[in-house]
Amino acid sequence: MNAPLLELDNLQMHFPTRQGPLKAVDGISLSIQAGETLGLVGESGCGKSTLARALIRLHRPTGGRVLLDGQDITTLSDSALKPYRRRMQMIFQDPVAALNGRMTVGELIAEPLEIMNIGTPATRRKRVKDLLDKVGLGADAANRFPHSFSGGQRQRVGIARAIALEPELVVCDEPISALDVSIQAQIVNMLSDLKRDTGLAYLFITHDLSMLRHIADRIGVMYLGKLVEIAPSEALHVAPRHPYTELLWSAIPVPDPAARRDDAFETGEVPSPLDIPTGCRFHTRCPYASPLCKATEPPLKTGADGHGVACHHPLPSSPSTAQQEIEHA
Amino acid sequence: MTAPLLSLRDLRTEYRTDRGTVQAVRGVDLTLYRGEILGLVGESGSGKSVTCMSILKLLKRGGHITSGSADYDGTDLLRLSEGQLSRVRGDKIGVVFQDPMSALNPTMTVGRQVEEVLLQHRKISKKDARARAIELFKLVRIPSAETRIDNYPHEFSGGMRQRVMIAIALACDPDLLIADEPTTALDVTIQRQILALLKELRDRLGMAIILVTHDLGVIAETADRVMVLYGGQIMEEARVADLFEAPQHPYTRGLLAAIPDPRQSGGALTPVPGSPPDMRNPPSGCPFAPRCPKAMAICLTPPDLYGAGDALHLRPAQRTRCWLADPAVPAELMEAT
Repeated sequence: MNAPLLELDNLQMHFPTRQGPLKAVDGISLSIQAGETLGLVGESGCGKSTLARALIRLHRPTGGRVLLDGQDITTLSDSALKPYRRRMQMIFQDPVAALNGRMTVGELIAEPLEIMNIGTPATRRKRVKDLLDKVGLGADAANRFPHSFSGGQRQRVGIARAIALEPELVVCDEPISALDVSIQAQIVNMLSDLKRDTGLAYLFITHDLSMLRHIADRIGVMYLGKLVEIAPSEALHVAPRHPYTELLWSAIPVPDPAARRDDAFETGEVPSPLDIPTGCRFHTRCPYASPLCKATEPPLKTGADGHGVACHHPLPSSPSTAQQEIEHA
Repeated sequence: MTAPLLSLRDLRTEYRTDRGTVQAVRGVDLTLYRGEILGLVGESGSGKSVTCMSILKLLKRGGHITSGSADYDGTDLLRLSEGQLSRVRGDKIGVVFQDPMSALNPTMTVGRQVEEVLLQHRKISKKDARARAIELFKLVRIPSAETRIDNYPHEFSGGMRQRVMIAIALACDPDLLIADEPTTALDVTIQRQILALLKELRDRLGMAIILVTHDLGVIAETADRVMVLYGGQIMEEARVADLFEAPQHPYTRGLLAAIPDPRQSGGALTPVPGSPPDMRNPPSGCPFAPRCPKAMAICLTPPDLYGAGDALHLRPAQRTRCWLADPAVPAELMEAT
């Protein structure tokens, strides 16, 4: 295996509050290979967006290390960070909301090139045209203002801006959550095409689990600041091993009335990140919890198949073994 | 067949804005029976929320109902005065919104807010109102109801706040609950809890529910019947099982192809090309025609809703607003554009 493009080593992001430290990200280790899409899921407050902001250094992590291509960038100053920024870009839920509304789409896309002193005004105009073409917007979009665009078109502008510097990693934070269903698939397919054509890697953060299966090579599941499971996408869907992943999966509404479930699904709520349970953080909601789970936090253990799980009592590792166990019971 | 609880006829609602008039709802008919869960599904701007908010005239600034009637149990709600309507809201019809935090009063305990609704609509003592509030909190499964009732909204999680909203909506035993994207702001595990709760409450209390959502998965899990809206009109209506098994309208088919099924492995999705119409200037014919893979010359003329149930109404109609569903269209008009 090649050296990873990005590596997080026990990354920590704590925020001081009056009620004590808010441990938004509490010791996460993972890696992303060049050209890979890593999906990250979890419910609100699990720390997935904080993790994204810490790893592209919008936050300065309070512990652990961020390595880009083997270089430790955890504590670099803004000026020392500049060459690395070019290699990591971010797409937001509504990219245009954060941008200057008085700039045309062309100016917005050219801005990163100007900041990095790349090209001449003429070559930048040519590059903007190419980028607009790549994201499926016509060249005439360059002279328009983003507020005149629909949500899907704005996300295309955000993507064009993010890939302008030819980054190796794009962090996508809920890029399709605000879009209409009929538009979501357009954007997901476009991101897949860009990855195929340019070999960039994504960290794709979403709460939409079923969409992740269509874009992620591997998926990590977060709960209260910890990574509880990480595995190749299909394995995680077909045979989740952490009880929390199993719970999340079973909660997804299935677009088929024949598969309707009428159980009460009383599975409790996520505890406050200011008051994290002892031991395994999920034990207060876990149907399989034992006294061990309350006392000791399980480490993330990764098997030879690349399937990692942090649980004292993980679920069977594949549907076939699950079937055997039912038969033996 | 019993009389419907609610009949909307030819509802038209528009919004006057600085940048023109938005034709949000353009002639919606809706029939709702007691005890049924009717799903209204559509994308942003389809008119699904405006349709159900028009029923109680809960429109944002600039909103006007320009025509139609809403016969509720023998009364046309659209002809009522504001004073008469305020007696219907919260009494005969309860409402749950997407964001409970903005619907609740942050400076008042949640118990007081339930009691206020009861005191406004019922001749009831303060003591009985409090007892009823605790009973309602238990009904919507808020743990430790007796103590939680004295908390303020910010002391609840998003899911628990939505349960408080449902308790308030149910305070006066309404026959109809309007739930406008009630789970959109919630996490997926909490969403399933709330949907299960709504179904359970319908079964126990027998009220009808209009469930507005953009999520076809939520419809499949929860609704009995569904109406698909696009461009301010009903594109298709059917029993839920029929809609998913045999969608008739090209828009419904496109939507179903564009969403991932969590039970199936990945691969490319099939998006619906193009963007939704600008409702300040909607297309003259079928609103979906500019994006429709089957668009024909005749689609520039507005189609009607075609199709019917059986004569005894044992099976409600599956109806489709599409020229392809009209048996009377002459063949020469059915040419692709």
